Amino acid sequence: MNQLADRCVLRSMYKSDLHSVLEIIYQHDDDDGEAAEEELNDLGLEGHHVIVDGDTVLGATGYRPVEGCDQTYYLSWTYLTESARGQGLGKRMLREAMDELANQGARKIFVKVSDYQEDGVNIYGSALAMYKSFGFKEELISQDFYDEGESQTILGYYFDAGSESDDDLQVQEEKPVIRFNGLFEIAETEGAYSFAWTVEKTKGFLNKRNFDAQDVQVGLDAVRDEGGRKVFLTFPSNLVLIHRPLQATGFKYVGRLKDYYEAGLHELHFSHDLSSW
Amino acid sequence: MFPIKDDNPQVATPYAVYALLALNAVAWLLLQGAGSSPALGVSICQYGFIPANVTHASNALNTPEVCGLTAGPGWLAVLSSMFMHGSWMHVIGNLWFLWIFGDNVEDAMGSLRFVIFYLLCGVVAALAQMFSNPGSTIPMVGASGAIGGVMGAYIVLYPRVKVHLLFILVFIFTTFRVPAIAMLGYWIVIQVVGGMTSTGATGGTAFWAHIGGFLAGAILIWLFKDEELLENHPFRGWRQARNPIDIWDDPDNKA
Ligand SMILES: CC(C)(COP(=O)(O)OP(=O)(O)OC[C@H]1O[C@@H](n2cnc3c(N)ncnc32)[C@H](O)[C@@H]1OP(=O)(O)O)[C@@H](O)C(=O)NCCC(=O)NCCS
Repeated sequence: MNQLADRCVLRSMYKSDLHSVLEIIYQHDDDDGEAAEEELNDLGLEGHHVIVDGDTVLGATGYRPVEGCDQTYYLSWTYLTESARGQGLGKRMLREAMDELANQGARKIFVKVSDYQEDGVNIYGSALAMYKSFGFKEELISQDFYDEGESQTILGYYFDAGSESDDDLQVQEEKPVIRFNGLFEIAETEGAYSFAWTVEKTKGFLNKRNFDAQDVQVGLDAVRDEGGRKVFLTFPSNLVLIHRPLQATGFKYVGRLKDYYEAGLHELHFSHDLSSW
Repeated sequence: MFPIKDDNPQVATPYAVYALLALNAVAWLLLQGAGSSPALGVSICQYGFIPANVTHASNALNTPEVCGLTAGPGWLAVLSSMFMHGSWMHVIGNLWFLWIFGDNVEDAMGSLRFVIFYLLCGVVAALAQMFSNPGSTIPMVGASGAIGGVMGAYIVLYPRVKVHLLFILVFIFTTFRVPAIAMLGYWIVIQVVGGMTSTGATGGTAFWAHIGGFLAGAILIWLFKDEELLENHPFRGWRQARNPIDIWDDPDNKA
């Protein structure tokens, strides 16, 4: 078995690998396969790798930068074909991809893991174990995210342990004018929605500075009309005007992804359960 | 006892305060010849506010006729007088107070609203002075009424903020910090005492304008303040302001 590990190499993922990679993902879970196919086709293969034994693709991993953030990444599709698991290949794949990221100056990476059960077994249990063994720390859990009873755990990892912030950035000047401008069902979920929002630089003399509870309620009603179960929203931690309207309309605080945008500037997660109304 | 600065962080650039400071300075330097004669006297009569000029009330307190009753632009002088001053000390003192207290008040409402607020306080101040002696023939000048309004607003908005005061005892210069409520409270008490005791027969401090402006500011601020902007201000209000984000510490607000 050691021989396999010795023979394997991690290299960039090419278009020609896509078929084998998707096959591995589809084998694990059909929904994952569908989502991966769409995502990889839409966003491309940059930052993605395959682990191969000769010509045979045994698994894949990758990362995507988060736009508008300072050296923040999300871990992308990380899967091994069933026969290759349990021999340290997963961790090695991860290690090499993360070393590459570290060389590029990456600051923090997050990974999302579902707790989906199949026949009473959490099919992502080994992935979660691998991330934790690598040094990822659980940062927040969104209950009923993917579907009723299926939560999402987000774990984070600092490339330099010393870069974790002690202080929250309090940007007092930050008074952006935030407007909701749409709603969408979150990818890979059943009935979990989010609002799209934009930031305007200036506000009209008599205009509102921020969305208010009424605006949030309009969005909630629209999601309910579409048959949505839950609404999930995320905002940077330095906005002062968002909290009251969210709380007033029944949003709950889920947690935060620390230092998401940059050191000291976190991403706050909120959820609203429409079924409990 | 003189305020040097306050421990109140500025959130937005106080454009309106800058503009008002510049306007007052330009008026003093250009229209009033920086206090030189005869420009000073002429400008005070031309742009100062003379109550008797608009009330035509009898000069009950027998104030001296400084300008002649036909001088001045009548009611318009209510506005123009706000940008005139009587001496270097007068203009520097006024603009210093505007500089110290104006920025945070502007922060609480935005620049355009602040200009309107400032002018309204000045108008109320001039009217208050006029009612205190409708027949007065003494021209009234100075931004102090409007700035009194700024101080009235400040005491309502930021009573706890520490103001650094310069204290001069012969040759000992020292500073200490007092809450705005104490410093501005002391200031308004002095004005009230002055207003009660001065006869108004001589030119000098327009105590009633200060009091009128101060009250106007303290009242108008409830109309003009923008709660959303204030939410941003760590030193607003009487008690240690809660950070808006702390609302989620409540277990009821957690998922
Ligand atoms: C996740 C995956 C890539 C891990 O690959 P792997 O080669 O089996 O993992 P490794 O052998 O490198 O093990 C990595 C660590 O996780 C631990 N681990 C792996 N599977 C485990 C399991 N089922 N239970 C407990 N721990 C487990 C190992 O003990 C090891 O920890 P250690 O180094 O501290 O001893 C692989 O299991 C997989 O493809 N799973 C299905 C796809 C998936 O869930 N992808 C993630 C989507 S978010």
